Amino acid sequence: MPKTYKDLAGDGGSNIVGQVTEQLARLRARMQDIRNKVAVVSGKGGVGKSAITVNLATAVAMQGAAVGILDADLNGPSIAKMTGVRGQRPVITAKGVQPVQGPAEMRIMSMDLLLPHDETPVTWQATTPTDAYVWRSSMEGTALREFLSDTIWGALDCLFLDLPPGTDRIAALADILPGLTGIILVTIPSEVSHLVVRKSLALARNLNIPMLGLIENMTGYDCQYCQTVGELFRPGQGPRLARDFGIRFLGELPFDPRLARSGDSGIPFVAIHQETMTGRMFQAMARELSVAIGLEPEGYIERGKE
Amino acid sequence: MKFLCLSCDEGMKLETASGPHDGSLEATFVCPRCRYRVAMLTNPWETQLVQTLGVKVGGRAAPASPYEQVLGSLVQSESEGQGSGGNEPTNPGCPFADMLEQTEQTASLSGVLWTDAARVRIERIPSFIRPMVQRAIERYALEQGHQLITDGIMDEARSKLGM
Repeated sequence: MPKTYKDLAGDGGSNIVGQVTEQLARLRARMQDIRNKVAVVSGKGGVGKSAITVNLATAVAMQGAAVGILDADLNGPSIAKMTGVRGQRPVITAKGVQPVQGPAEMRIMSMDLLLPHDETPVTWQATTPTDAYVWRSSMEGTALREFLSDTIWGALDCLFLDLPPGTDRIAALADILPGLTGIILVTIPSEVSHLVVRKSLALARNLNIPMLGLIENMTGYDCQYCQTVGELFRPGQGPRLARDFGIRFLGELPFDPRLARSGDSGIPFVAIHQETMTGRMFQAMARELSVAIGLEPEGYIERGKE
Repeated sequence: MKFLCLSCDEGMKLETASGPHDGSLEATFVCPRCRYRVAMLTNPWETQLVQTLGVKVGGRAAPASPYEQVLGSLVQSESEGQGSGGNEPTNPGCPFADMLEQTEQTASLSGVLWTDAARVRIERIPSFIRPMVQRAIERYALEQGHQLITDGIMDEARSKLGM
């Protein structure tokens, strides 16, 4: 009876385990100076997750914290546009890749900053174009790990990750990023959105991923003339959903056309509309989040520290 | 993957590894006892599997370079990276060569002028957001065919951009 696989020592000479361990060590080393890693997720697309990521991150940075944003939506990157850094090119050095600087000195990295043209899709090399789609998921995982471990984030109070829509993304991120502080779930008050976000909440609970809170977007429309919020959907759905899962309800955001326009202009809404109802809500949510993750003004990291 | 020399019942040792060439990785193994050698040639799908994991067959001689997989695996179409009107890479063979330069490229919109009044207004914007606002207004002005930013253009941009 010849020897079996387990009888032979080692792994054939490639030291795959050693290589994977080295990848993890690199990731851990880079992440150790980042106090909090917060992922913003949604079950469904089109709920305003990226706009909320940008404005929430900006509001936290406006409090004085050192903040970064990683656009983890590799195929539909929008953070660079929303923060006005599109066109800047990250610099690659031997130590890693320098992120670009956005508003409120936020450090930003996005696939958008690596693509040469507006219309360039993210396509991975493969044997055939069809195969590229087969391998997409694992390539994206590898790419996300590289964005986390090879970007020179420096010391940060909080790194926000804007995840693409989809319940499965939460599990994938938890695999890649040990030490994830928690997730923020974004929904709109439609039953369809709540149905999907419930799946995300249940998955996060099963995976023991801390849930930092729920944000309900487009709960009503902010009338700029009478300063009241008119109803768009049945009210009170978001707080009830948060209660059902025993998580913090961070707040509800009215639909404000200026918020959509600010995304196109590259200037975060909260930075220039602090006194509006939506602007105040973002600041309140930032304070609430800071409490949830233990961010205190007297303990903020000095910005620009590497 | 391991190789066993059946004659000697001995695990073979990795001797060389190279590739991928034409979608195939090549590795040779040798029996430490009888010196019998075999070559392992991967098919394109096996090669792809190894690449997506971000590991090297035969081990690594040097640590992975930053964004090795992202920059090495993104497809650049024939038309991309050519004649974009932007900064031409110093090494035309590498689509990311311009990023390897140590000088940061910024999206400065050259040629746009500001009136004194407009300049005073932009200076009143908090410093943490000023560069973003300035760039957005310059971009708006250029899109509208203006080379000079006046109070009026600023008002127009504010209204159109929702500032």
